[in-house]
Amino acid sequence: MKPEGKRLVWNEYQKEIANDNYFYVRSCVRQNFFPGAEKTFLRYMKDMGRNVFENPSHTTCSGIGYHSDIVPFETAMTMVARQFALMSEAGYENFVTSCITSFGLYSEVLETWEHFPAVEEKIRGHLRNATGREFVKPKNLAHASDVTFKLRKDISKAGKYRLINHITGNSIRVVEHIGCHYSRMFPNKGVGGAEYPYVLIGMIDEWGGEVIDYPERRHCCGFGFRQYLVKANRGYSVSSSKKKFDSMKPYKPELILTNCPGCPMFLDRWQYAISEMEGTTYGENGQGIPVMTYEELAGLILGYDPWDLGLQVHQVPVEPLLEKMGIPYDPAKKFLDINGNSMGKPKPPSAMKFY
Amino acid sequence: MEHSVIVIGGGVSGMTAAGMLAQQGFNVTLLEKEAETGGHAARWDRLFPDRKKASEVLDFIRKGMSRVKVITGITVVNITRNDKEFTVVTRGQVADGGSQMADIPHPASCILLATGYELFEARKKEEYGYGIYNNVITSAELEDKFRSGSPILTSEGKPPARIGIVHCVGSRDEKVGNLYCSKVCCVTGVKQAIELKEMYPASEVFNFYMDLRMFDRHFEELYYEAQQKWGVSFIRGRLSECAENPDGSIIVKTEDTLTGKPLKMTVDLLVLLTGFVPGRGMASISAMLGLTTGADGFTNSADSHTLNNSTEIPGIFLAGAVKGPVSISESIADARAAAIQIEVYLNSDKPGND
Amino acid sequence: MGALYDKLRQDIRFVEGLTACLNCGTCTAICPAAEFYNYQPRKLVDILQTRDDEKILELLKGDTIWYCGECMSCVTRCPRNNAPGLLITALRSLSQELGYFVESEKGRQQLAIKRTVGHWILEYGYCLYPSQITPENHPEQGPIWEWEFQNLEKVMERLGANYQKAGPGVLRAIPQEDLDEIKKIFDETGGTARFEKIESFSRQKAEEMGIQLDDGLQNDYIKHIYTAVNKDHTTEP
Repeated sequence: MKPEGKRLVWNEYQKEIANDNYFYVRSCVRQNFFPGAEKTFLRYMKDMGRNVFENPSHTTCSGIGYHSDIVPFETAMTMVARQFALMSEAGYENFVTSCITSFGLYSEVLETWEHFPAVEEKIRGHLRNATGREFVKPKNLAHASDVTFKLRKDISKAGKYRLINHITGNSIRVVEHIGCHYSRMFPNKGVGGAEYPYVLIGMIDEWGGEVIDYPERRHCCGFGFRQYLVKANRGYSVSSSKKKFDSMKPYKPELILTNCPGCPMFLDRWQYAISEMEGTTYGENGQGIPVMTYEELAGLILGYDPWDLGLQVHQVPVEPLLEKMGIPYDPAKKFLDINGNSMGKPKPPSAMKFY
Repeated sequence: MEHSVIVIGGGVSGMTAAGMLAQQGFNVTLLEKEAETGGHAARWDRLFPDRKKASEVLDFIRKGMSRVKVITGITVVNITRNDKEFTVVTRGQVADGGSQMADIPHPASCILLATGYELFEARKKEEYGYGIYNNVITSAELEDKFRSGSPILTSEGKPPARIGIVHCVGSRDEKVGNLYCSKVCCVTGVKQAIELKEMYPASEVFNFYMDLRMFDRHFEELYYEAQQKWGVSFIRGRLSECAENPDGSIIVKTEDTLTGKPLKMTVDLLVLLTGFVPGRGMASISAMLGLTTGADGFTNSADSHTLNNSTEIPGIFLAGAVKGPVSISESIADARAAAIQIEVYLNSDKPGND
Repeated sequence: MGALYDKLRQDIRFVEGLTACLNCGTCTAICPAAEFYNYQPRKLVDILQTRDDEKILELLKGDTIWYCGECMSCVTRCPRNNAPGLLITALRSLSQELGYFVESEKGRQQLAIKRTVGHWILEYGYCLYPSQITPENHPEQGPIWEWEFQNLEKVMERLGANYQKAGPGVLRAIPQEDLDEIKKIFDETGGTARFEKIESFSRQKAEEMGIQLDDGLQNDYIKHIYTAVNKDHTTEP
């Protein structure tokens, strides 16, 4: 493989990412399953001297509802418009989403309005009628991973740890996984485009890791919206993830890094489910491959406590990676509440090593 | 003053027209930007459909060019018109002048634009991994290998046991901005499949196509031969993406649309049939002369049926691939047609295209 | 070209998503649904471009249009700039508007999604809500989620969330006036009408099928549509 060939592609897909003063909207999945991650993002943005503003009146963009087709397009567009209204009312013009499905929806809506200005006018009317609000479209739309990408060197500089095995000195082998709605519909809205996205590779490169490419890299993790939400359809979802795991296994990845909030949930949980169903594990020695999002990884690099980041709520334990990176953690504190009291412990899976 | 003709472009059509006009007694200058004439044909090994050597065709054409003044290694930097006469200014290195460049004006009573085409840059079809995966090559690179005479090996130095040939790379593809068909790649793919089978009879060769454009005489028979005699497999499905195995072999994903099932397979070598794109140099020449191009970026003639070698500008003529994808035999015929019309134009002493 | 095709053309996503298909198969080649289901996006688009209302009706009533996972991989690849994934959204919308979704096993599942995600959007302002993601319905979430579910408030607190409280933060309580705005948006833009249609057509179907359906999630019809796989969706007929 000639990595310089990929570099040529990355050069063609440069993306404008605002430098400061972001209006932040949260992710339904991330808040539910990785509650520590968004807090971590806000923490390191503050540490990097950036202003990130949240209006507590913001809601879901309804993306999951939209992509399960219970929410009509006009409703979704008006939900988006309301979020924009909250942004412009607060005096911001740089919009940052935590969720990738959101990012895709905001991009799709803006593109639709670009092609069909009459639709934009109609939505303005809907928003006005429903809420009395007016909106201005954002000057800059980015995903929180874009912003983290932009700050990767600053994070590296301030960092205490690197993606390096502190015993062997080797780079940690990292598989990167990009959410489908980041750049598939609009490749020029993603850093590096759709075929060889660079947004996570940039972070891994900067923080000392080794990027692993593998044949099913581009394959969807299998969220599939309705293909997961309804129990009868989950075969689609687990099969998609399994396809990826089977493909990446020979390359011995030590970490899967994602930018979408849904993907790490699936890549984490389906490893568990597959181990229960088949006994197969994909990491070393009966372990799973730890899955993290960029906020969690950035937090680790910066030396934040792993249990503050929320790594304890991963089904596939992250401890093997922490040990490799030389990051100290207190196993006794893993499942304690904020006052240091026990909350009991989760049962260990039957076929995957647990910590 | 004796009428002079300038032919811009020293490929098959430019050389053919220049030679014919010179033999008819006109004062002909041929301008070529590369160091040598021959155009793309100089790179090919054997031509469809009868597999004659490309060099044979070029030798034939060159034999007719003894009276043509050939200038190579220059670019055209300006073309101006004064009533019925033109001046073409070329820029090139001064002989023995090191890197010093000089501009030279060439007067002409008419100009033949035979500037040809370029090959689609395969790396722009990102998902095919050209320039990233070592065992992905272009059809032109395959011709280079055929011409070299050495056996064709994978990047790991082994003879390929299974070869994939991909049709429509950079053509019929709005994603890369080329909606048009490049016409000659299909028959090239069939030809190369046969040639690979001749080299490695035990190998498996797969052509991934959407349609098989066997548009000229003997082409359909070549397709038949590829199947019946050589056992080339034709899979009706456009290549969707490539990936690389640890051993360097290429995984391809397509759909076998005839059975309606997604198909994933591994090949040792993948050949991309890259199509035609308009030559970059024509953009500035078109601007200088006020020519029009089609939505596909190729240059328009005055009428595609009846005035296909003329333009709206009296004295400016077109031949060959400057107008779009075309085969070598068609280019030669087109160049001769252009030459005759130029002769008529110059002898009539008035604009020939009204 | 008939009434159904015209109705589809009123959906911008259909207009954006269908130019002309040359049946190259690049979409089907990388479609996850094509890997696992008896589904080929290429065939779907080819059917749509016939503009044949009879065929479109069949699609609206069948399972085919519900296999797609809306990953949009097809959009990245199509050389004619079609977008099968977008066409799917238009078909699914029309199928629900006209009530045909209840005729197929996969289509009937829409009620389950409406009564979970749909209700949570209006009630909480989130598409997902942790107290509603029960381990019973989500065994794949594993023992970690089971533990989290049992200790939800404390885990949220430990991880710095603002769970169910006022002000900014993870899983904050979204003020009622904002939830009221969301409801008004749904009313204004046809979202509420869509929800009502999903309900009413489903109730009709449940009666037809003789399966008990009342409100909420704890009834036979919901349990049936949530779990039923009575057809072979994976091999070609």
